[in-house]
This record gives sequence, C-alpha cells and structure tokens, in this order.
Amino acid sequence: MTSRAASYLQALVAVAAIAWLTTAWLPVLGLASSALLFLLPVLLASSRGGVGPGLTAALAGAAAYNYFLLEPRFTFRVHQLDNLVSAIMLCAVAVVTSRLATRLMAREAEANERARASEEFAALSSLLASGSAEQVLAQGLEFMSDRYGDTRLLDQGKLAAGEAGFSSLDISAAAWTIHNGDMTGHGTETMAAADWTFVPLAPRSRSESAVAALARPRDGSVRAPAQLNQIRQLCLLLGQCCDRISLETERREREILEESDRLRRTFLASLAHDFRTPLTVISGRLELLARQSPEAKDALLAAQRLDRMMADLLGAARIEGGSLSVACENIDLVDAVSATCDGLLLPAAIHLRRSIPPELPFVTADPVLLHHILANLVDNAVRHARSEVLLSARAQGSHILLSLEDDGPGVPQAERERIFDRFSRIEGSDRTEGSGLGLAIVKGFADAMGMAVTITDSRRGGARFILTLPIAPGQPA
Amino acid sequence: MSRILCVDDEPAILRLLAVILARDGHEAVAAADGRAALQALRAGGIGAVLLDLGLPDRDGLELIAAIRAIAPVPVIVVSARADVQEKVAALDLGAADYVTKPFDGDELLARVRAALRGGAVAPASPELLAHGPIRMDVSRHRAEIDGRFVALTPKEFALLRILVEAGGRILTHGALLEAVWGKAHREDVEYLRVVIRALRLKVEDDPSQPRLIRNEPGIGYRLA
Repeated sequence: MTSRAASYLQALVAVAAIAWLTTAWLPVLGLASSALLFLLPVLLASSRGGVGPGLTAALAGAAAYNYFLLEPRFTFRVHQLDNLVSAIMLCAVAVVTSRLATRLMAREAEANERARASEEFAALSSLLASGSAEQVLAQGLEFMSDRYGDTRLLDQGKLAAGEAGFSSLDISAAAWTIHNGDMTGHGTETMAAADWTFVPLAPRSRSESAVAALARPRDGSVRAPAQLNQIRQLCLLLGQCCDRISLETERREREILEESDRLRRTFLASLAHDFRTPLTVISGRLELLARQSPEAKDALLAAQRLDRMMADLLGAARIEGGSLSVACENIDLVDAVSATCDGLLLPAAIHLRRSIPPELPFVTADPVLLHHILANLVDNAVRHARSEVLLSARAQGSHILLSLEDDGPGVPQAERERIFDRFSRIEGSDRTEGSGLGLAIVKGFADAMGMAVTITDSRRGGARFILTLPIAPGQPA
Repeated sequence: MSRILCVDDEPAILRLLAVILARDGHEAVAAADGRAALQALRAGGIGAVLLDLGLPDRDGLELIAAIRAIAPVPVIVVSARADVQEKVAALDLGAADYVTKPFDGDELLARVRAALRGGAVAPASPELLAHGPIRMDVSRHRAEIDGRFVALTPKEFALLRILVEAGGRILTHGALLEAVWGKAHREDVEYLRVVIRALRLKVEDDPSQPRLIRNEPGIGYRLA
C-alpha cells in the first residue's frame, strides 16, 4: 500500500516541479515547449506506477498547465478548445504509456521467473548428480524444503503405516497420486482441501510406489499453477534419484547373492572332493579284496552307499540353497534308464527287470537331475524289494508314466504324503540303510523340473512309484 | 605294456592306481602336482596320463592343455567332482576320457585300454574299422554286426563310424553333432537322439536295453 501511495505522491511532486519550472521560465521556453514538458511526469508516473498515478499526473498536469501558463493565468478558466484538447492528450498518453509499461513489466517478471526456475532445476540436478544416491536424495529434499516448505518422500509402506502428521484426506490424496500420477492436494484441483500437496515422482506413463509431499505454505497463500508446475519438474528429478537408489540396492543385493552362491558351491565342491578321495581308496582296496574273498562285497556295497549318500547330501544342499539350475533337453528314456541300471551292483537276491518300449516318444528333462532321481528310486526299490524290481514306462496323453514297482512291504496309505519329507522313515521299519534324503531329493528335483511323483500299491504287493514326465514338444504323443 | 603317468596329490590314490594298473601290466609313474607331471612327461616314455583335476599347484583344466602341448598322449581325467559342465569342458579341451571317483577298477582299465588304442598308430587299412562285434568298410559304406549286414542311412553310418573310431572313448554330444551335422548344430541334441535311436534299432539285440551304444547323462555317448 505504501509503495502505491508513494507513486501517486511522486506523480504530484513531479507535476509540481514541472509547473514551477515552466512558470518561472515561460518567457524563455515558450508555451508549446512548456506544454510538452508536462508529458514528462505523465510518462514517468504511468511507466513506474501504472494507470492510476499516470492519470493523476495527467489531470494534475492539465490543471497546472491551465492555471499557471494559459491566459488568463492563475485561473482555471478555459478560453479555447485547444486547451481542452491538450488536457485530453495528456490523459491519453498517460493511459497508453501505462498499458505498455505494465505489459513490459509483466514480461520481465515472467522472464525473471523462468530464469529462476531453470536455475533451480540446474542447481537441483547438479546436486543430485554429485554423489551417492542416498546422500544426495536427502540433500535434494532439503533443497526443496528450503524453497517450497517442508518436503518429504512417502512410499506405500509409510502410507499404510499411517505416517504421523497426515490426515485421512492427505492419505487419500497421496494414494490418488501414486495410482494415477496426477498432482493432488493443496493448490491443485483434486482434493484441494488437503494440508499437503502431493507430487508424483515419475512421468504419467510409469506407475511408481512413492510420492513427494509438500506442506501448505506457512503464510497461508495458495501455490500458483506456475509454481506447481516447477515443483512437478523438480520432483521428477527426485524420482530419478530414487530410481538410482533402487537400482543400486538391487545390484548390491544381487552381488551379495551371487557371492554367497559361489562360496557355497566352492564349499560343496571341496567337501565332495575331501569325502570322495578317502572313499575311493576304501572302495578301490575293497574291490581288490573282493576278488579273493566274496565277503568283502558287502563292504564294497556299503562304500558305494556312502557315495550315494554324499551325492544326496550335495543334492539336498542345492535344493536348500535355491541354486538348483535346470537345463532341460530332449531325452530318450532308454538312455536315462540304461545309464542308471547298467553296471549297478545289486544284492544277490534281487532281480531288476526293465520294460521300456524303444519306440516311446522323447521326454523333456534335465538329464543330470533325472539320472539322480532314477538312481534314488531304483536304490529305494532295491533296498525294500524281496526278490524283484520292475522298471516300466508307458505313454498317457501328453505324458510318459515311468513306474518302479517292488515286491517289498509297500508304503501304508497314511505314510504316503510324509515319505517325501526329509529324514522320514516308515514307522516300525527295520530297514535303516537309506540316508533319509533319497526320496526328498526325488521330490525336490522332480518339482524343479515340473514333474509329479506319486506312490500307489503295486500288483506285486509292494510299493509303486510313478514319475510323470512331459513328452517333448513336436513328438507323436 | 605302457607307462601311465598318474597325477594326484593323495599318495593313497597313487598307490591304488599303481596296483590297479599293474593288473593290465602297466607301469605307474607317480606325480603329486602339475609341475612334477610336466617334468615326468618331458622325460618321455609316457603312454597315457591319469589326471586329477583338483591339484594343489594349478588348475586341472589348464594342465590338460599344457600336457597336450608337450606330448600327444591321451589324458584321462580322474576327478571327485561330479559336475557335468566340468567333465564336458575337460573333454572339449582335449581330454580323451574321464572317470569319476570313487571308480571301479575294471572300468578304469577299460578306459585306459580305449585311450591307448586311440593313441596307437593307424591300422594298416584305414578303410576297414572294427570295434567289438561291429565291422565297417568305409569305402563300400558297409556295416556288419556279428557278421550280419545292416543297412544304414548316411547319417547313421557317419555316427557309427565316429563312435567306432573313438574305440570306446566317450564323445560329447557337441563333438558328435559337430562331426556329423557340422559346427552350426552343436546344440541340437535332439538330432543326435533321433539317429542314435534309429541306429540302436538296427545294431542292438534288444534296443530297449542297449549294450553297444552307451549314454552318459548330460555328457555324450560311447561304445561299450
């Protein structure tokens, strides 16, 4: 208000000064030049103060010109029409000049505002690019808080936990911003009654789980659209910084995971090596002994079982560690079964029969995992059979059912679920030769390859395990 | 018969290998690490190498290349590591065969015999090949099993010929595919499976329990 009054006062003072000057120097200046001099305060007042002071200067100037300079001097009487015209001229100049000046001033203000905005944008982006993402994000929030009032980042977790200081309207506004990517809250068109303004951190096309919240200005003013736009641009920069943080975190986590996986592999490999080296010596020597005395064959079988247990332990560690990689290819079941059964050392009383039709379609499986599954199933059947184990296969729809039957005691209905658990043995069973891991590995590896394994009764009286393998694509079913 | 260089850092294994090799009349030459192995090899007179991959002084895979650079002797990997990728890598690097610890003595001797045969000078007539019951006349594109003529397609003949030439050594899927179909088909294992199955129907007594063409899961094929 004071600056407005001052510009009126300035206009009047300027008119008074020109009146004094022209009155004193009229004989030298002449009437026409004096009249022109009265334009000066009008131009000055209207360009600096706008229409009001400009018109004030024009009317005061016309009055002073009439009073001090026109004949009869020192009266307000107007004798001729041209005197009136000069008063109107002064007013018109005042209006036009003030309009021009106002427009220029607005342009200048706009340009200043734009320069300031791009300066801020540059300042924030150089700040955010300068160091580790976590550190600079905090600095970026501080930067925003200094200029636009308290600024925070909210993610869905914080919202769900009911972050302190936010009303339910604020929380709905924040949720809206997260879901739709629009600005909401104070100063915007959506939920304008909220105390905070919520600004998305990513362009509209991307869904983001975090949002920036800016507190309502302390002076009670409402944020202008231009300022909101500027804030939006700055928040996009903050969003990029958040993206950098999540990428870095992801990379770090992956590195840690890879490193621990590598360590575990190295450890398991050296464990296997350390275990198998003495076992090689034991079984090698037993084999030599068995040539002379048949009793050594039992010890040799036991040593081989130890090796299978080691393989099971390693398999269990791979399932447990989640490092089981599956590389499926087309496999001929004749190959898979032969690799398992050929050269297998069987107890004297057990006979292993195979019935795999050579024209069965190929299946899709990881050859190494399938080999381990078959070895464990055969081992399990051989240990429980009385005299015979039958390995057979047939096609059914888009699958091949591989079945392993024995004539042993079978698996009671109640135990069939539990038998694939680790270290489970059938209640009251006196067979304790297995590791307790074999069937758990069968299940674990079958799961990894997407195959089902089930137990039913065998017509021979014992158990019947059925492995369901998918027929390879492009094969006649 | 031959001098076999045994490379292993475990003395008990070296002694065991010496006893097993002696059954076939071979003489074992022991080396506890890679440096000693290369030294023994340079001294000459070695017919084949049994190599453990877990040596204290250098990487076993690297040593295969170093051995092959000194003398063209067959290298049989004897390793406690059951990792299929490592076996395939060793075979691709030029190892003749591999045996996994704990090994069967007879199997080890069979591998050594096959490896020594592969390293022997070419037979008088390279056109006539034989392995077990299989006889092949390459120039006339004829194959016989136990004196019985079998009609083979060109692919089946090419595959059987490579297996017979290897004389019981393992050949990786990749090596077989490259030799019969060309480098571009190294990964197309199903091609191989189809022809192996067709071949078995013609050469095996019981194709559902093959005795001649044996498979090693994830690695390759060999003749028994």
